[in-house]
Amino acid sequence: MINKIDETRKSFDEDLSKVDSFASLEELRIKYLSRKGLVSQLFESLKDVSKEDKPKVGQSLNQLKIHTQSKFDEMKETFENNENKSESFVDLSLPGRIRPIGSKHILTQTLDEIKNIFKGLGFSVYEGPELESDYNNFEALNFAPDHPARDMQDTFFVTEDFLLRTHTSPVQVRLMTEKKPPLRAIMPGKVFRNEAISAKSYCLFHQVEGLYVDTDVTFAELKGTLVAFAKQFYGQDVQYRFRASFFPFTEPSAEMDVWWQPKGKEGRWLEVLGCGMVDPNVLKNVGIDPEKYVGYAFGMGVERTAMLKYGIGDIRILFDNDKRFLTQF
Amino acid sequence: MKISLNWLNDYINLKDISLEDILDKLTYAGLEVEEVEDQAKNYANMIVGFVVEAKKHPNADKLSLCKVSDGKEEFNVVCGAPNVATGQKVVFAKVGSIIPNGKFKLEKAKIRGEVSFGMLCSERELNISDNHDGIMVLNPSLKEGTPIAEALEMNDVVLEIAITPNRADALSHIGIARDLSALFNLPLKYPEIKLNESGKKSNELASVDIVDAENCPRYVGKVVTNVAIKESPDWLKKKIKSIGSRPINNVVDVTNFILHEVGQPLHAFDLDKLNGKKIIVRSAGNDTKFTTLDSKERNLQSKDLMICDAKRAVAIAGVMGGENSEVTESTKNILIESAFFNPSSVRKTAKNLGLSTDASYRFERGTDPNITLWAVKRAAQLIQETAGGEISFGEIDEYPKPIIKRSTKLRFSRLDQILGYHIENREVENILLSLGFEINDNSKDELNVNIPSYRHDVEREIDLIEEVARIYGYNKIPEVSKISVTLEEKVDHSAFDDKVRVVLNSLGFYEIITNSLLSEESANRFGKPIHVMNPQSSEMSHLRPSLLPGMLTTISNNLKVNEKDLQLFEIGKVFEQLSETKIKSFDDFKENEQLLLIATGNFLRTEWFEKDRAFDIHDMKGLVSSFLNNLLPGVTIADNYSENDFAFLDYAFEIVANGKNLGNCGKLKKEICSLFDINQDVFLFQTNLNEIKQIPIPKKAFKDLLKFPKVYRDCAFVLDSNIRSDEVSEVIKENGSNLLHNVKLFDIFQSESLGSGKKSLAYQLEYYDPSKTLTEEEIEKVFSKTVKSVEQKFNAQLRGA
Repeated sequence: MINKIDETRKSFDEDLSKVDSFASLEELRIKYLSRKGLVSQLFESLKDVSKEDKPKVGQSLNQLKIHTQSKFDEMKETFENNENKSESFVDLSLPGRIRPIGSKHILTQTLDEIKNIFKGLGFSVYEGPELESDYNNFEALNFAPDHPARDMQDTFFVTEDFLLRTHTSPVQVRLMTEKKPPLRAIMPGKVFRNEAISAKSYCLFHQVEGLYVDTDVTFAELKGTLVAFAKQFYGQDVQYRFRASFFPFTEPSAEMDVWWQPKGKEGRWLEVLGCGMVDPNVLKNVGIDPEKYVGYAFGMGVERTAMLKYGIGDIRILFDNDKRFLTQF
Repeated sequence: MKISLNWLNDYINLKDISLEDILDKLTYAGLEVEEVEDQAKNYANMIVGFVVEAKKHPNADKLSLCKVSDGKEEFNVVCGAPNVATGQKVVFAKVGSIIPNGKFKLEKAKIRGEVSFGMLCSERELNISDNHDGIMVLNPSLKEGTPIAEALEMNDVVLEIAITPNRADALSHIGIARDLSALFNLPLKYPEIKLNESGKKSNELASVDIVDAENCPRYVGKVVTNVAIKESPDWLKKKIKSIGSRPINNVVDVTNFILHEVGQPLHAFDLDKLNGKKIIVRSAGNDTKFTTLDSKERNLQSKDLMICDAKRAVAIAGVMGGENSEVTESTKNILIESAFFNPSSVRKTAKNLGLSTDASYRFERGTDPNITLWAVKRAAQLIQETAGGEISFGEIDEYPKPIIKRSTKLRFSRLDQILGYHIENREVENILLSLGFEINDNSKDELNVNIPSYRHDVEREIDLIEEVARIYGYNKIPEVSKISVTLEEKVDHSAFDDKVRVVLNSLGFYEIITNSLLSEESANRFGKPIHVMNPQSSEMSHLRPSLLPGMLTTISNNLKVNEKDLQLFEIGKVFEQLSETKIKSFDDFKENEQLLLIATGNFLRTEWFEKDRAFDIHDMKGLVSSFLNNLLPGVTIADNYSENDFAFLDYAFEIVANGKNLGNCGKLKKEICSLFDINQDVFLFQTNLNEIKQIPIPKKAFKDLLKFPKVYRDCAFVLDSNIRSDEVSEVIKENGSNLLHNVKLFDIFQSESLGSGKKSLAYQLEYYDPSKTLTEEEIEKVFSKTVKSVEQKFNAQLRGA
């Protein structure tokens, strides 16, 4: 029996030295270490050994088991390490298993950028309905009935008294009617103009309106705030100018231009927003005392801003939603 | 509006001011210069040349070889004109000039062996006339070297100025000159009027009766007799042409000139065509048709204000004259009308007629009631100068509703408060005075200011503040460099939508924005739409009741360009009429914020690791539940599989949270797809964001991490294939005891070997007890009970048992 154990040990060592692959290692395992392998067989035959020899044979058998198992484990580990390094080739150049991620519409992205700047300056964000009353859209904002100022904004009417809002300014009216100053908010949203669709104009667009009403609001602060915005949005070195204009709901009214310098082309001033001090009539209409409170307001078109920023020449492409366009932003 | 700089110089001396300065100041002051046409630029490099010598070209019979001097140098020029001769003063276009007719640039050229440094021009080549018989021979007194633009007085600069609707006073050359006089602190001079009146008085030759004084507060008339209608003199034609109008005849041109000079529209009637030599100003009443002087028949409304004679209407007040009384070549005697009409009346009439004229444009913005007299006298004088005749004495001046002089005050402290900047009191006064305001009282605190009658836009203190700031210059008011922020609650209405977008983006959806206006057909199919009274076209006549049509159009357009795999969403307002009657209040309609998301085409295009696979309802269901679970954390969201008919959907189910239907998910019906030429499956989920926003999100609270192991048991049941998987998992949960925490379907298997009409559903059950380690016996007990209940309930068989 002892001889048999020694022989098995020798043949195991011999076989082990010949192992050169996972397959031959597995063969080795099956031959010696499996349930019916040589080592197990020897344990089986232990029961035939005489009582007095049993401890000695048993001990030697145990040593064999430990020896074979540990040598096998050692070898296996070696193989596994080798395999990790060079045995199989991993083609890292295969494309990864991508899951697509969508994007916000470019107008939303532009609006986000505008919103974030003004939120940083302490503005809240309010929204309001698109189908508005003539009162909120025009009358409360100091547009007299039958005044040519109404022609500035071609209007889609639903009835004589209801219309698709032509600007986000009715949200001002709602906000000032519902809340007391101080009020500092921007009001983004969709607005409508009854104009033929062309490369330059669409029947709807998005606007961001801003409003600040308090006891110490000034034109100088309006300018400062808008300049801060322009610098953040267009770049710190932006050139700008303010010029007089007319909006029924602000007085004095102004427009802000920035200098636009396309590469290789002639630069020009481009109007980027309208602004002014809230007309006292508007404050009166919403029940705020214009002697005590002063306000400023401003508004800008998101489409125009996005088209400038990204060099888009035709407004219609914004509403075509062609995937080849959507995936660019 | 076109404004000629040469013309402006009749009222203000701008000679010493650069064009750039003029353009900038006008634009900053709210008179935005949109375009500049500099005539002199058309004649750059062209000068008066002196022909020192003209002789025959050695190699060509019909050409001459000339030596032309610009006063400094002599140039060789080859000329083809028969009339060129030594000693002439000619138009010499040097190398580099661009010939106006044909727009070609002159280069140094060799003509039949002789070098030519330019060209001598004909009138046609300069676009002056059609004359091309020979070169233009200039007045010998002109000095050689003088730029041609100056020599021929073609050096005007014409500005296109955008006038905002409040600035009716600026709709003329004198109006613009007035602002310039304030901006540059230069005097404004009105033309002097010297009338040579004779014969009868105007009010003996004609009479005026204003019936509708509300809409015609003032009507001034003056008669000129024995005029000769003919072509206008050059100076007048030039003025009329410079602003882009066409000269007609001397009388019409004079009225047109005065409109552009001072902003007062005038009309000249042929007095002999006025029945009873009488003007009656009244509303149209029963008159329904009227032929204007452009020979077009117009439909009148009874409230339209008309100018009539004793028998009939002769003009639409403030809009256009009539054919029946217009000045023609045979006209001898004329009545000049210079009136002030109610702006809103003219506006309504012009709108009704769909007719906007230079006159109506000014009347509806508000003309100066006090300039009427001046304008009619100026017209009479110019008519006499250009058409001869006798100016009758005096004017007919019907002024039943005198316009009251207005005044307001300006507090210096208020000016400082609004601007956040102090302008010197003296400067404030000067600005107002230079714009024509009168200061009738001043103290150290405030000014009391009379408002000129041409400034309809100025009524209140704030209007004066704007005038001061505008002329002072917005760019000179320094902006603040810091602001203070109040600490009141900040609100962001858009925050929820922003989250929706971010979650959907992360799930692969692109945002789209579509038109809110649809065709009636499209809109009616998807709801009860609201129609627009004045649409651009029938394609955009109704407000969308649903985002579906816009989305389906988008899909369809993308398919056309071979973009077939789409995951898209839109957030937008949809509109629904609630009442049967016309919308009178906000209660008569509903405006909801809708969200629509779709998936169509392939979930995955073939890749190296997987074959392509089309989107199916289970993909969509997964995307929607990922979305909702992320958007509404902690809210239990359930599916409701009812037998309801879903209008546009097959394989549809409701998604429910807190007992409320959030929206439907399903596959779009084929017949809807085919309406939009979509030939692939479209899966969608539609929901009302207004309602989702109302769902309360439970507050998050930390739960202890599990300290004891979870144990998993798998089981597969063979049961009838029409049994829904969720029913089985429901029974498992109900009978799983409180140790069972999760049930997951992990395999579905169907095969003949199971028997026909049978399937196998495999579930993994997750057990744990948060307070101890579970024993094998405990699990076995509840697991076998669960298995039994499923077997009994569904007549199922545990596989492998």
